[in-house]
Amino acid sequence: MIPNAASLGKVVWVTGGAGYLGSAIVGALDAAGVTTLCFDLPGRAEATIADRRLNHTVAVSCDLSDLEAQREIVGRMMDKYGVPDGVAHLTFASSSGKRVEELSTDDFSRTLTASLTPTFDLCRQVGARMAERGHGSVVLFSSMYGVVSPDPGIYLPPMTPNPIDYGTAKAGLLQMMRYLSVHFGASGVRFNCVTPGPFPNPGVQKAHPEFVDRLRGKTALHRVGRNHEIVGPTLFLLSEGSSFVTGHSLAVDGGWTAW
Amino acid sequence: MSASSTSPFSLQGKVVVQFGGSGLLGRALVDAIAKADATLIVASREPGALAADAERLRAQGAEVFLETVDLLQETSIRELVKAVVTKHGSLDGMVYNAVNRPMARFDDDLSKWEESMKLNATGFFAAVRACGDAMAAQKRGSIVNISSQMGTIGSNPYLYEGWGANPAPDYFFHKGGMINLTRYLGSHYGPNKVRVNVVSPGGIYNPARPQNPEFLGRYAKMTMLGRMADAPEIGGSVVFLLSDASTYITGANLAVDGGYTAK
Repeated sequence: MIPNAASLGKVVWVTGGAGYLGSAIVGALDAAGVTTLCFDLPGRAEATIADRRLNHTVAVSCDLSDLEAQREIVGRMMDKYGVPDGVAHLTFASSSGKRVEELSTDDFSRTLTASLTPTFDLCRQVGARMAERGHGSVVLFSSMYGVVSPDPGIYLPPMTPNPIDYGTAKAGLLQMMRYLSVHFGASGVRFNCVTPGPFPNPGVQKAHPEFVDRLRGKTALHRVGRNHEIVGPTLFLLSEGSSFVTGHSLAVDGGWTAW
Repeated sequence: MSASSTSPFSLQGKVVVQFGGSGLLGRALVDAIAKADATLIVASREPGALAADAERLRAQGAEVFLETVDLLQETSIRELVKAVVTKHGSLDGMVYNAVNRPMARFDDDLSKWEESMKLNATGFFAAVRACGDAMAAQKRGSIVNISSQMGTIGSNPYLYEGWGANPAPDYFFHKGGMINLTRYLGSHYGPNKVRVNVVSPGGIYNPARPQNPEFLGRYAKMTMLGRMADAPEIGGSVVFLLSDASTYITGANLAVDGGYTAK
């Protein structure tokens, strides 16, 4: 089937939907007429809806660092809007930003727990309901640093290092995706990852042009990604255009991991 | 169903050359690319085999042209590319789906292996280089190579136990090579804004001549979705990679295998 907006389903959730990548995805879903639930910290989703003048998007205030609250709101949203046809899960805990020598074991544990546990819980809760219904597509967001190590030469001062807890969590996410794709595959529920390369937000691009130049040099396309370029791959994996794609990590990295 | 021009996956205005279009997968790719509104040129040694398909698609409003090419002759490929650019104004996409499978068994004479490499290694490189160079000159383009899950993993004899139809080794060699050459080409052509990716399908169900039921049962258990692929399901991925929905994807291998290689 040719990927198209009509096969995205009726209801799609985007967590972290107010961020640089998430808001581009929310905007495209909304333009396609999909009822889009935009999960983000209080106030942020509402601001995205107002800024982008969205018509089909519902703001869902959610702090995904509180597991009980997350479980409650996920259940409530499924009761209210039905089991989603697709979920793009971008929310991820911030990492330590510390060098290996400075990183406490508590810092390390905190990133892994805060990144992976809520994702696991959300995937299990939504996946089970999708499986009952017999279809669904969940897209998780990993990183090139879940596949390859950062080159420390890119993160020169004043940039903080890209820390070990970040990549370890992103690698864990890839394996979680594969495991869940096997677990739910027979029920018709697909799990895949978009695995982005460098997508520095406009603030970083403006403040740190030398850093962005160093990122550019690591890609075959010799440029960093723009947020609208994450939209097509995400819609592809959410749509019926990818009906036989599951357990896959789709690199959207300008060739970062290809050489 | 036609992809509307507002869809990020539309190929409207794009001139696409597809090598190899007469097999089960080839026909499905022709169908998907044409219906995504591309101007599609299907190049093969015997274009007559596709005449009825092309006629049917044209009747539905698609722009499909059939051309002759000999992939064993570099001059033939270069002439085709030149003719396409002259006739249609540009070359925006290329799909390499041609394959020759002269080798049947592990113990076949080495001449069968050599015959395989003539098309599957040399012909492939000649085609991808000719198209890539033309795209690099215009500073845009997307190349999609069709490999296989057999380019990533070895053969599983259990699937074929009982009737000795274990696939021949040459296929695993050139499909694997295609995947890594795709990465090389992604970096080679990247500065000229040409993207190069590969799609690796799993086994495809043949509704006209269904595979052995025992094989189908065993194969289904090896995938997470519990079935072989339907040929149109590969088309979606190829259209995606040809389209502007994938402008930051290059050097990537997109598995369309129901999770076969993810487990």
